[in-house]
Amino acid sequence: MKKLLDILPLVIFVSLIIILFSFLSNEGDQLETALIDESFPEFSLTSLTDKTKVLTKSDISRLPALINVWATWCIACKVEHPFLMKLKEDSILPIYGLNYKDNRNKAIALLKADGDPFEFSIFDFEGRLAIDLGVYGAPETFFIDKAGVIRVRHVGVIDDKVWKEKFAKYLDE
Amino acid sequence: MNKILIISFICSISLGFLSGAEQKFTFDKEAYSFDNIVQEELFYSLLVELRCPKCQSSNLSGSNSPISNDLKREVYELVIKEKSAEEIKAYLVERYGNFIIYNPPIEPATYILWFGPFLLIILSLGSIILYRRKQA
Repeated sequence: MKKLLDILPLVIFVSLIIILFSFLSNEGDQLETALIDESFPEFSLTSLTDKTKVLTKSDISRLPALINVWATWCIACKVEHPFLMKLKEDSILPIYGLNYKDNRNKAIALLKADGDPFEFSIFDFEGRLAIDLGVYGAPETFFIDKAGVIRVRHVGVIDDKVWKEKFAKYLDE
Repeated sequence: MNKILIISFICSISLGFLSGAEQKFTFDKEAYSFDNIVQEELFYSLLVELRCPKCQSSNLSGSNSPISNDLKREVYELVIKEKSAEEIKAYLVERYGNFIIYNPPIEPATYILWFGPFLLIILSLGSIILYRRKQA
């Protein structure tokens, strides 16, 4: 008994280390997602390229699809842009852009210069739809299935690896 | 030796209380006007209670990031619509998850958060008692 007591602090210390270490391996920047398995929220916002045109949920008509939150001020969006272009060129699935808290003219110019992977981009200057989606930065990408239900949310750059691990399996459903 | 143990124990507990101290407002309060004092108080109490999703270690009132300002506007609009504190929090948890509130509900995923500290207190008290007995 006495021996056991002597090593007790060590046991507690080691188990704390193990518990804390196991938390380290969790992806720290992936917040829990409240919207998984919910249907995509309603919205009414203008089109990026035409400020007189009002877009709603029914305009996201080709499903399954990706919704990609992007902006010209977002450096990581530039990093993932070529991958989005590749998805479009290979006709993997339609991508709809959510232009988030951006300058309209700058955003249009960027798509002209680097290429436009989106069916269209929704212009969300005030971050209205973004709040309904629980967005807190850019880039973020949502996968919407055939029924219009959000299945995946990814915070950060989407690339080949992320696509294969998180998204690809839902495409075959 | 025992005195030192007890003092450090009390210090570590009071540190926990201190860290919950009030935070300053770092934004332009003039931008928000209210119909009555009840709405105003609700608004500012919610800003202290709600967490900025981007900065993670700050509440909405302590942050001037674009997302925090959007959320302030959202909270403001709900307050003006006479929504209750519970309704407003539920609205934000629906979108951002429990992360957004500093006061998460007690459920299996948060057990360690709620009960872990008490477990640590019991464990450390227990070891102090055991240690003293051994010395006596």
